[in-house]
Amino acid sequence: MSRVVAVASMQLINKWAYVGTPLLVLGGALALSLAIYAMVPTDEVKYGGGSQAPFWYFLVLGIQSMTLVFPFSQGLSISRRAFYLGTLGLFSLMAAFMTGIYLLGGVLEEATNGWGLQGYFFQLPWISDGAWYATGAFLFVAMMFMFIIGFWFATVFKRWGTNGLLIVGFGSAAVLIGAAALSTVLQWWGTIGAWFAQQTPLSISGWAALVCAVLAAGSYATLRRATP
Amino acid sequence: MSAIVVEARKLSKRYKDVLALDSVDLKFEENRIYGLLGRNGAGKSTLMSILTSQAFPTSGEALVFGGSAYENDAVLSRMCFIRESQKYPDDFKPKHAFKSAALFYRNWDQDFADRLAAEFRLPVDRRIKKLSRGQLSAVGVIIGLASRAEVTFFDEPYLGLDAVARQLFYDHLVADYARHPRTIVLSSHLIDEVSMLLEHVVVIDGGRIIIDDDAENIRGSAVVVSGTAELVDGFLAGRTVLHRETLGSLASVTMEGVFSAQERREAQELGLGLSPVSLQHLIVRKTMGDAEWSAKPAEKPVDEAMEVPR
Repeated sequence: MSRVVAVASMQLINKWAYVGTPLLVLGGALALSLAIYAMVPTDEVKYGGGSQAPFWYFLVLGIQSMTLVFPFSQGLSISRRAFYLGTLGLFSLMAAFMTGIYLLGGVLEEATNGWGLQGYFFQLPWISDGAWYATGAFLFVAMMFMFIIGFWFATVFKRWGTNGLLIVGFGSAAVLIGAAALSTVLQWWGTIGAWFAQQTPLSISGWAALVCAVLAAGSYATLRRATP
Repeated sequence: MSAIVVEARKLSKRYKDVLALDSVDLKFEENRIYGLLGRNGAGKSTLMSILTSQAFPTSGEALVFGGSAYENDAVLSRMCFIRESQKYPDDFKPKHAFKSAALFYRNWDQDFADRLAAEFRLPVDRRIKKLSRGQLSAVGVIIGLASRAEVTFFDEPYLGLDAVARQLFYDHLVADYARHPRTIVLSSHLIDEVSMLLEHVVVIDGGRIIIDDDAENIRGSAVVVSGTAELVDGFLAGRTVLHRETLGSLASVTMEGVFSAQERREAQELGLGLSPVSLQHLIVRKTMGDAEWSAKPAEKPVDEAMEVPR
């Protein structure tokens, strides 16, 4: 257990990866969004997608955890299990922290009538329509999803190299395209569309959490035999 | 006999069409300095990776402190293996790497790490990805030394280090080992440079262990005889010759085996010079195949790094 905690603290020694950079990306995206809102000559309410910027950084963070931190952890004789639990645990904490910032940002936006500009960065339609915990669950799971996707692909790369990555990448694409083709042939799109229309941020986060759990389990199984 | 801390049993590793390790049997005792010597691609890094469970064998068993190191914190926490091409987290500086090591090694000595960093003139505040090859090696060397792990592997730790830094490493290794005995395995192809440190030598070639013996025994296992070619050849008739070099009418011949006191006197009377063979010279000859070399005149060694000083 103590080695799991140590793996997490090790990645906080340099505060940039898990604290500085995400906040910087978020702050930068917010500043740019507000600048654009201020320039748009309209009295209508404005929404923007700038708040997704840190999510793409989480994808990178997931990849780097596997390609750089994992080899280093091996050099320090850290078991694969301790590395996995410590890294995923640390990211969960960070995702919870960032979710808190998004929720607080939403409250602030509400109170200031969109920063006095009628511009909304955190409070987006649909995502923020329901209860605060539904929004929180959606944001948290979305962040975890990005990190785990990056982590999982990097694990496949570490274990099976470029060929493995290509096979898994094309394989996943083929499965998705096949599913889409099947839906077209069987004329399922109406049903699928209706299903998505029924979903709430909370139910979507439930499904995404399920996918995260499967990918996380898959990453661990792959990592068990990965070499630095 | 001291306790065995590392053991390889019929360890083999196959990468596609290459057999990197071929049924390797080895034992490392506690509190000794081992040299794992061999040419590039001989299997040194593969062997160390498998012993530390960073990589997996195709067959056979690797035991450390009597158990497998794989996912075994009790074993892992007692060893350290910084690889030659070690990767570090993005934007990490040497000081971050040292702080990380301090989290995992009970015996970590921060003062020692600081002192070494100063002596190696390592910029501890510069990002690791901006460091030169030698400075990168210094980071690994410092982690390896200051962690004071009971089993420490060094994988060609001198790459890119200048002569002064290399000597610093050798000196600190010996001094710290004397104060804090532990098992050290040093892989190298600069044999002459490290030979004075080594208590035991393992030579690996083409994935096979070809020498596994005390450094002293190996040094005593061959003699260089020099003098006029005619006299030398006459004196060594019937002996196993590892290598023969001629310069004009003079010959310098490396012979496998030991001379008796009587033979030494005879050599002296004939005016022949007897000198000990260097570890590097001997290993170069051995890894090139004895039979082939006994008959031929000197040729350039194929591997520049193992070039014999003449």
